[in-house]
Amino acid sequence: MNPLAGKYLRKNFLPFIFCPGCGDGMIVHAFLEAVDELGIIDDLALAAGIGCSAWIPVYIHADVLKVLHGRAIPAAIGLKATRPSRKVVVFTGDGDGLAIGGLHMLHAARRNIEMTVVMVNNQIYAMTGGQVAPSTQVGARTQTTPYGNLEKPLDGCKVAVAAGATMVSRCSTAYPQALSRTFKKALTHKGFSFVEVISQCPVQTGRYIHGSGAPQFNLQWLKDNCVPVDDPAKWGEVEAQGKIPLGDVLQVEKPEFMEEVRKMNQKVKEERAKGGDR
Amino acid sequence: MKGAERIEIDRRYCKGCMLCQYVCKFEVFEPGKERSALDYVMPRPAKVENCRVCRLCEIHCPDMALTVVAQKKGKGKK
Repeated sequence: MNPLAGKYLRKNFLPFIFCPGCGDGMIVHAFLEAVDELGIIDDLALAAGIGCSAWIPVYIHADVLKVLHGRAIPAAIGLKATRPSRKVVVFTGDGDGLAIGGLHMLHAARRNIEMTVVMVNNQIYAMTGGQVAPSTQVGARTQTTPYGNLEKPLDGCKVAVAAGATMVSRCSTAYPQALSRTFKKALTHKGFSFVEVISQCPVQTGRYIHGSGAPQFNLQWLKDNCVPVDDPAKWGEVEAQGKIPLGDVLQVEKPEFMEEVRKMNQKVKEERAKGGDR
Repeated sequence: MKGAERIEIDRRYCKGCMLCQYVCKFEVFEPGKERSALDYVMPRPAKVENCRVCRLCEIHCPDMALTVVAQKKGKGKK
């Protein structure tokens, strides 16, 4: 067993429920590396909905909320409101975060609530048997689109930027060290941070969309098709070639919602104590 | 030069995806014959002397079953 696993995982829950070669286990490892370097395991509060990726926090020896499908972010907002000192991290999948819980993600980003949302994108609904997801590529053959998908995929990073997230980044399990560094950056960021992780799913995406269920083939597919880009202005060029750009999109400072609420409470209390008209 | 003392693969958790063999640039691993507790064919660290302790296999292991134990400093001198 890896020393990090021995230190931070719930041993009675192991082995992982993930299929052989799944990227979710690599995300657990990268996340634990970031947590280990920052030393924040006691402050962590994790939340997850339903999906393969929602199993990620269950193995980590920290406080975990497992809630309804797509509703991980509202539960996390409540947690952050009542326990402001906690580092709240939400693990969602592409179905959980973009389809059924899409609006929750938009509004959490709009209000700039301090939390980290890790959206694991495997381009398919893997747990339910390989149906078409909002992030599936055009032309992909899945269980529900046997003659090819006609719908254009939804770009989670662009949605987060448009909604007003203050840190947006896209990583891939093909580059786990960069993933770990990005987690570290997101966990120390003050505000809503959104990390999209392009992950491999050998069993569903690999077998039905890419044509091979071998984990090696799927990792190589990611390495070939994910291009790290320094400048977010060049993302269009990479997308025009049919590849997936990786890298930091933006990181800005904006007033955090819960802090503003507390400030307003304080102000109203002071005004009332003075005997103001309110 | 850095070297590994041994490479441990936990037979309770290994699912035999062979990503460790795939990412290794120094051909340390080869498909073994032993089966893990989950009944998958496990990789075997056949050439540990080739290992440069880059730990790519460790971070790529999706089941966190793999550990690279590096040689202690100054071991060769004694």
